[in-house]
Amino acid sequence: MRSNWLPEIVQRSETGPFVQEPEFDRLLTQTVRALVREHGLKFDPQDLVPSDDGMADRLYRAGVELLAQMGAYNQSTERRILLSRAEIEEAVAAAPSAVVLGEGKDAVVERHRGVESEIPCVMHSGPTGTPCSEMLHPFILQSCAQEPLVDCLGHGSVPTYLGEAIVAGSPQEILAARHQASLAREAVRRAGRPGMHIEDNAVSLTCAGKMASLDPEAGLRPSDGLLVAQIPELKTNYDQLSRVAHLRSLGMHIVNLITPLVGGLGGGAEGTAVVTVASHLLGALAYSASYHFMGHMHLLRSINTDRMGLWIQAVSAQALARNTPLVVVNDLYAASGLGTTDLLWEVAAGAIVGAVCGTHQHGTGATAGRETDHTSGLEARFQAQVAHAALGRSRQEANGLVLECLRHYEEHLATPNLGRPFSEVYDVETLEPRPWWLEAFHEVGSALDGHELDVHHAWRRVRHDR
Amino acid sequence: MTDERLAAELKDALRSGDASAAVTAARKALEAQADPLDLIRNVLVPTLTEVGKQFQEFEIFLPELMAAGDAAKAATVILEQAIAAAGKASSSLGTVVLGTVQNDVHDIGKNIVSTLLSSHGFRVVDIGRDVAPSAFLEAARREKAEIVAMSALMTTTRPAAQSTIRLFEEVEARDDFKIIVGGGSIDAAWAKAIGADGYAPDAASAVDLCRRLVGR
Repeated sequence: MRSNWLPEIVQRSETGPFVQEPEFDRLLTQTVRALVREHGLKFDPQDLVPSDDGMADRLYRAGVELLAQMGAYNQSTERRILLSRAEIEEAVAAAPSAVVLGEGKDAVVERHRGVESEIPCVMHSGPTGTPCSEMLHPFILQSCAQEPLVDCLGHGSVPTYLGEAIVAGSPQEILAARHQASLAREAVRRAGRPGMHIEDNAVSLTCAGKMASLDPEAGLRPSDGLLVAQIPELKTNYDQLSRVAHLRSLGMHIVNLITPLVGGLGGGAEGTAVVTVASHLLGALAYSASYHFMGHMHLLRSINTDRMGLWIQAVSAQALARNTPLVVVNDLYAASGLGTTDLLWEVAAGAIVGAVCGTHQHGTGATAGRETDHTSGLEARFQAQVAHAALGRSRQEANGLVLECLRHYEEHLATPNLGRPFSEVYDVETLEPRPWWLEAFHEVGSALDGHELDVHHAWRRVRHDR
Repeated sequence: MTDERLAAELKDALRSGDASAAVTAARKALEAQADPLDLIRNVLVPTLTEVGKQFQEFEIFLPELMAAGDAAKAATVILEQAIAAAGKASSSLGTVVLGTVQNDVHDIGKNIVSTLLSSHGFRVVDIGRDVAPSAFLEAARREKAEIVAMSALMTTTRPAAQSTIRLFEEVEARDDFKIIVGGGSIDAAWAKAIGADGYAPDAASAVDLCRRLVGR
């Protein structure tokens, strides 16, 4: 048994089989296609939350098989990191099934959730690494941190420092990273929750930039986290692995960020689900992740609230929930923008899938993460309320609810309503949502109440029992 | 004129992404005295255009697009050899130097653009990801490119597109090339602001943009 795979990962990165990246990609597409066929995986656009334990288990086996056959690709050395089935299974079995996020009175325990679990979802708010302006980012962060149902704070990608574009890899990136980390700390302090878990600093791009955010007083602490990304599909590099080395030495939370592309190298929904499962396993082994962001997205639209995206979340979450102890968080990307009812229907669909299939909740990247300042605390509050209301529902019930949600927004996905940015849906002085954004919140909440999902009140029961 | 049966065979091979069948079909067509330029213009390009549209509509996915692109590339090699042997000019619409900007390692979008441009008759020199401004310049000069195409997925890396254009200006090479940009973090307004010659929101538009820029 190993507790630290990193030296072995580096050794295999240096000595594994050399292969050029396009060849690795071709081999991956062929392997995935064969595994989908062999394991009888089938996407059904009417059954987005399948109640098929057998398929969930076959998907898990296909994911293990994919990682065992392909290994991971280290872009820095152009070599494959080969891993045996036994090593994968051992590392996954030894992965944490519960993690304490944050500290003091603001700490939360994020536990492995099962399928149709009664364990409440932990709510991570946005921003999900999405673009935020230098001016509004502090207000956006605070609007999220002050939400009582938000347990952990996300972070936005701010492209400027003192008005100038940040040059990645320059000292300016370090300055910007430190500044934006301090703003996140300040946001949780102002919200009266100084120990709240901050999950990342999304301003920095390089390893040096990420590490510059660490500052127990003014920036990020070991009780916070930083994302370590996999590059689609099943790829890493020394910049990412170096983050693991430093974060592990500090005892800081490592967050495995995976973004398999639906319609990309994995092919359709079934193949992308196989890649998604394999990527979680790789994150447990190579990154020693505390928890995992399931961030698959449509190759062309960059969303995961369409039918394929929701199905992938449902089946991958079930596969991992039934066969591993991993702590998994969904990572929603929606087409619509702030201030629209469409966005809330998209959020509801993703939240229901996650709550019932075994993930925790992550706030939404609205406008597919394209438009600036499209995050606020209100949609995170809504997501938490929906997730709490969906707790304990069956997969069959969840499927009906998700299809109902889709009915409200699906036809707009190609030409979504981009809504209005933060400054128009929130009063930036009081940090309260403006009436039209609250009206949308209540409208969709009441509509879901009509489908016996008690969005407005169920959270009280959940908080009492927690 | 190309024999319709042989043209259909080549089309089928391209659509199914079977490179060896595409090479066989191209050879058979040449043996039957088909004009290689006609095969490229009237079989390869329309078939790959159709495949590209299917991909944009999500009727097929990246593996199928890549396979069709590989098959087209393999057939093009055979046909270009025949064109050169006959002493005719290459069918290429022009040379595009393509890469992701400095510090950006996300290259799937760039790879799709590369596949579509190649299959539409452009000579693509793919210089990879995380490309320094000077490497774009050096490749553009070395390859005598008509177009330099840069991609940036991250908001935090897109300033490198601006730095690259600035370098071309500083060494007075800006007017020698058309420079275009794309990728998740870039929009038309940003492209205009940094002085690019064009912006493409997706791979299919990148093909149209390049055709416009080379006047084809």
